[in-house]
Amino acid sequence: MIRTINIVLIFVSVAMLAGVYALKFSIEGTAAERTALTAKIHDQEGELSLLQADWAVLNQPGHVDPIVRRHEMELAVGPVKQEQFGAFTAIPMRPARPDTAAMDALFNAIAEGIDPIDAILELEGIE
Amino acid sequence: MAITADDFSPAIALVGARKQRVNLTQARIRWMILALVLGFGVICGRLVMLGMVETDQSIEGQTRDVIQASRPPILDRNGLEMAVDIRVPSLYAEPRRIVDVEEAVRKLRTVLPDLREDWLRNRLSGDKGFVWVQRELTPAIEDAVMQLGIPGVDFITESKRFYPGMREASHILGSTNVDNQGIAGIERHMDTESIALLQELGLARGAALTPVELSIDMRAQHVMHDQVVDAMTRYQAIAAAGVMMDIHTGEIIALASVPDFDPNDPASALVKDTFNRVTAGIFEPGSTFKTVTLAGALDSGMVKLTDQFDARYGVRFGRFTIDDFHGKHRILSLPEVYKYSSNIGTIRVMQAMGKDAFRAFLSRMKFDERVQFELPEMRVPTVPKEFSEVGAATASFGHGLSVSPLHLVAAYSAFANGGNYIAPTIYKRDVATAEQLYERVISEDASASIRYLMRLNAISAGGSGSQMNKAALGYRAGGKTGTAEKVVDGRYSSSKVTNFFASAFPLDNPKYAMVIMVDEPKAENPQSGTTAGWNAGAITGRVIQRVAPMLGIAPDFSEALDQQIVPASVRQLYPEGF
Repeated sequence: MIRTINIVLIFVSVAMLAGVYALKFSIEGTAAERTALTAKIHDQEGELSLLQADWAVLNQPGHVDPIVRRHEMELAVGPVKQEQFGAFTAIPMRPARPDTAAMDALFNAIAEGIDPIDAILELEGIE
Repeated sequence: MAITADDFSPAIALVGARKQRVNLTQARIRWMILALVLGFGVICGRLVMLGMVETDQSIEGQTRDVIQASRPPILDRNGLEMAVDIRVPSLYAEPRRIVDVEEAVRKLRTVLPDLREDWLRNRLSGDKGFVWVQRELTPAIEDAVMQLGIPGVDFITESKRFYPGMREASHILGSTNVDNQGIAGIERHMDTESIALLQELGLARGAALTPVELSIDMRAQHVMHDQVVDAMTRYQAIAAAGVMMDIHTGEIIALASVPDFDPNDPASALVKDTFNRVTAGIFEPGSTFKTVTLAGALDSGMVKLTDQFDARYGVRFGRFTIDDFHGKHRILSLPEVYKYSSNIGTIRVMQAMGKDAFRAFLSRMKFDERVQFELPEMRVPTVPKEFSEVGAATASFGHGLSVSPLHLVAAYSAFANGGNYIAPTIYKRDVATAEQLYERVISEDASASIRYLMRLNAISAGGSGSQMNKAALGYRAGGKTGTAEKVVDGRYSSSKVTNFFASAFPLDNPKYAMVIMVDEPKAENPQSGTTAGWNAGAITGRVIQRVAPMLGIAPDFSEALDQQIVPASVRQLYPEGF
């Protein structure tokens, strides 16, 4: 009786020993993985900080301005002038009534087969 | 036998037992002593061992916290980064682990040829546990050094401050030293506030700190910096500076001073003359100070806008006579005194106010103390404690006292915003917070009059601000020129001048005040002059032209806007207003 119990206990303890060792090694593995990940995060944070710094440099007005100056001629751009500003109040009001005579003329022309847009397109050399 | 033995044994045993016990005790004592000696020996040995052990000088431990301490990013008012932390590798060595110093020196110098050979050899020899070789390198160099495979040489990642705006906001930001501690500008101010404590506690390490938001608008700052740099070549000036302030909140929108330095290379800040002229430079403000005199006089009620002042003859003080630069030599009304920048007229205005009242007004405007401001680079202005008659007369047109451009811009802000002094700040501040700090220095009426005078100087024929208004047309800007002659060999020199232009815009609903300073400018071309209108004034105009649309001010050419700022009393004198 006691012998059987002892044998069972020996097997159980051996199994538990094996289990503990397996756990130990798996934890060590996880720890190593964690260290590797931490190092990777650290590296990537470093890279990210450099990228962010790059981004900040590229966004600086002091960086953009010389580029604009270089391409001023080709793009025909320049600093905005006061005269270029408009306001909603400066837009003329809509005419009180539509120009019916001009509309009629246009519809008649189209009905007769003359499309004014065609004339413009031909003039521009499109088609 | 047994009996005999029994009989004798006690006697023998008595002796034997005693002896035996004595022997046993002695043996035990000896063992005990041996054990104690051994025990103490071990402890002594351990003590000696501990004494022999060199303290670990490696970077691991506390030092790592310090060198990896990060600083919060600094943003401008629109969220654009002005200063960020980057992680950079730093090269260190452990000399006691280096096997072959000569080889290490030779190999390292193939990657880092800037290092001096004997210095490096000295550095790497010896038995030290940790020495820096070179800090803040690039990842490319890190890779190259790692490829060399020198034992005892390794990298550690450090936090380094990087300023993406390069030179543009150098005087605002200041810079940090190699240990990431602020040594100038707002970086230093931040340290005195809280960051240093955080770093000391090790809390700042790697943690994402809340960004610090400044009041600076990098777009306006770029324009300002661009223009003052341009002034250095255009007018061959020795220095130029400019500052722009939100008159309602006291926020500094732009602040530039050249010659400047590169905050990414803190050593460049040590070059002569790179100091911040806006805060740490004090100058005789010249005629820009006439606005102050007039504001004080108008506020005191002793002088009205419609008053006339006799400017026919110079004012005599003993042997001295003070005369006008472009004298009209007739009786001038107050707006004319301002427009023609009449020294005589201004002295008369000051005298009407009284010299003591004038001096008291300067104190009220805080001209005799440091401006309350975050940047640590500051100088105390020199304003005499009491004025003599002649001292007060010269002070009324800005001579015989020295203030910083920051003093001027704060004063002009108060004049333009309705008469409330607000201390400038470099941090974001909203109007509600600012209003609690307001200090009334002049009345609403006096402020309205000053706004009118400033605009008058820009648009009226003969006004010294017309050069400025040429560029800033439509933005309703106005201001006052100031040309202060420099003292050379104890005399005022007419060829060396410091020029100012103090302005505010848009004057129908003022939002910003600006002071531009140009030091020792020369004429741009033979047709132009060296007085302030030609340089400081023109710069102001160009800055406003570019900055106003960014700040949401639309140009408006309608005359009605100008007419509405003309005070009613002036209408009686000049029905046309200007």
